[in-house]
Amino acid sequence: MSVDVAKGKAGSARPRLALLASNEAGLVLITVGFVVLFANLTPGFTSPFNIYALTRVLAIDVVIGFSMMVVLVTGGLNLAVGAIGVCAVMLGGWAMQVAGLPIPVAAALALAFGAGLGALNGILTVVMRVHSFVVTLATMSLFFGAMIVLTQAKAFNALPAEFVSLAKLKTYFFASSMLYLAVGIGVLLWWLFHHTLIGRQILAAGANPSAARLSGVPVERTIIVCHALSGALASVAGLMLTARNGAALPSMAGQLGMDWLLPAFLAPVLGGTLLTGGTISVAGTFLGAAMVTVLTNGLLQLQVGEFWVQAFLGIILLIAVALDRLRAHVMERRRLR
Amino acid sequence: MTTAFKLLRTDWFGLLIAFLVGAAALAATQPSFLSTYNIYVMLTAFSLSVLVALSQMVIVAVGQLNLSVGAIGGLAAITFAGVMEVWGLPIPVAILIGLAVGIACGTLNGVVTHVTGLNAFVVTLATLSIFKGTNIGITEAQPFYNIPEAVKAFGNARLGFIPYLLFISGTIVAMVWIFMRRAVLGRQLLAVGGNRNAAELSGISIGRVIIAAHVISGVLAAVAGMLAVVRLQLGQPTIGDDWLIISFAAPVIGGAVLAGGHVSVAGTLLGVAIVMLINNALVLLNVDPFAVQLLLGALILAAVALSRFRDPA
Repeated sequence: MSVDVAKGKAGSARPRLALLASNEAGLVLITVGFVVLFANLTPGFTSPFNIYALTRVLAIDVVIGFSMMVVLVTGGLNLAVGAIGVCAVMLGGWAMQVAGLPIPVAAALALAFGAGLGALNGILTVVMRVHSFVVTLATMSLFFGAMIVLTQAKAFNALPAEFVSLAKLKTYFFASSMLYLAVGIGVLLWWLFHHTLIGRQILAAGANPSAARLSGVPVERTIIVCHALSGALASVAGLMLTARNGAALPSMAGQLGMDWLLPAFLAPVLGGTLLTGGTISVAGTFLGAAMVTVLTNGLLQLQVGEFWVQAFLGIILLIAVALDRLRAHVMERRRLR
Repeated sequence: MTTAFKLLRTDWFGLLIAFLVGAAALAATQPSFLSTYNIYVMLTAFSLSVLVALSQMVIVAVGQLNLSVGAIGGLAAITFAGVMEVWGLPIPVAILIGLAVGIACGTLNGVVTHVTGLNAFVVTLATLSIFKGTNIGITEAQPFYNIPEAVKAFGNARLGFIPYLLFISGTIVAMVWIFMRRAVLGRQLLAVGGNRNAAELSGISIGRVIIAAHVISGVLAAVAGMLAVVRLQLGQPTIGDDWLIISFAAPVIGGAVLAGGHVSVAGTLLGVAIVMLINNALVLLNVDPFAVQLLLGALILAAVALSRFRDPA
């Protein structure tokens, strides 16, 4: 194995293949391959409407993926992304429809609320000193339950027309305007994690908490910041979905918001964010979501059986995590050498 | 004095007191609480949920978790109903096929987690979607309605306030109890969950134990799924969708340590019983039934906080 890696530096094909299968370049290749395949198999795939629909779904899934990514980097996870997203948009929907607040104010309110719920997750994780799994499992039930009781499971379906029309904008090449929002958020996250002090501190704390603590990194604060950021991003995804649906629906993320869990984990894990924390790939998460969206959309266009798509995605996640494991293994070998 | 102290230190004693106080308060204020029918309804729900909770508990014992409990239950449920309706297979054969689905799903979970060494969380998230996706793929989200009359009759049968379903799950609970306390494999589950390296050094085959835990979990989930079909009188594809929270809530309330090595069957039973009691209280008091989600979340947090307080690490 180590011999192979050694040869890899000299230009052998085998380890490079492993790299291609896991990093951003590999994702681009696979995605482009699927695009070419689907474009040839079905004319509907490249139709203006489909490109618009696809980019709109992609934009939402990318932000959902980011929302999980920023918590995975701490070595934790956030089962409550869907629940927070729904809670935030129900508040946003209420603010717009019932309280009659202007759209930017309502959106800001939803974002702040989502960030607050996320911060609560972070604080509970830090204070109770348990894994974020059990905390976010509990809060997912708590938040969702409270939301259903308060809203009586009723949708806000008379949102201002300007808000709904935000999701209908088309831009160059028929792409949805929401895609630019997702890209913009990605650039901000990249800048945050690679060019700011808190970003570097988060990465250090995620990679090795005790070492980071000894070097003066406020580990607890980084965990709370990440959870708050995750909550805010979940709210953004929720607002985008609300604009697309034209209504703030309590059921938009399924029972307890669990429908978001699969896209939330698929994108970062495919993109090479390690579940053990300390690494991050913003571009990878974007590309991971792109691959999943293209594949889902293509399978639906081909009408190979819309009911089987979920099973396919599960198999992809399984393969992705196995590759992720292999990559971690190879990286470990390299470090040992 | 010392006996009282010993009792207080167990996982279940405090829960039993809480349950009895809650039940007494309800009985005193709501006369309908002790009606035969109400007890029957509660016991029916209990028969199902207790299996779901035990299915998660055996995985928690080895220090892992299983997000796919509900998806396995759902797949076994629609298979059980489907083979009876579509292929007209006799009931015992359908039961065996349902159990086989549970074993197969559990084996897949166990083998993949062990061989790849991946976090069980992400493996079972993937298999959750594979099992649920297969369920939706087979049923196209439509229930199987034509369940044999004998199955339906069994689902409605009761002895006074005791549903027949409770006899099945009661037997299984007793088996799990004996298994966790007395069987070698049961002790090995806890040993692996408590300290993996020590268990390995004492000659326990880690892979065998982890795969066995997942198979047992799969079988328990499958039985729960089939009981759900019997109770609902139809093969509903959504069976299992709402099992996730209760599956974790009951063992955690019952004093299980999520890091593994410590679970309590009695505690888990009482955890389920307390959740059922809260559920029933909300119905009797005409509170929004969705409030139970809220309370369950709060209960998990409280249980975790309490275990931190009892055993500060």
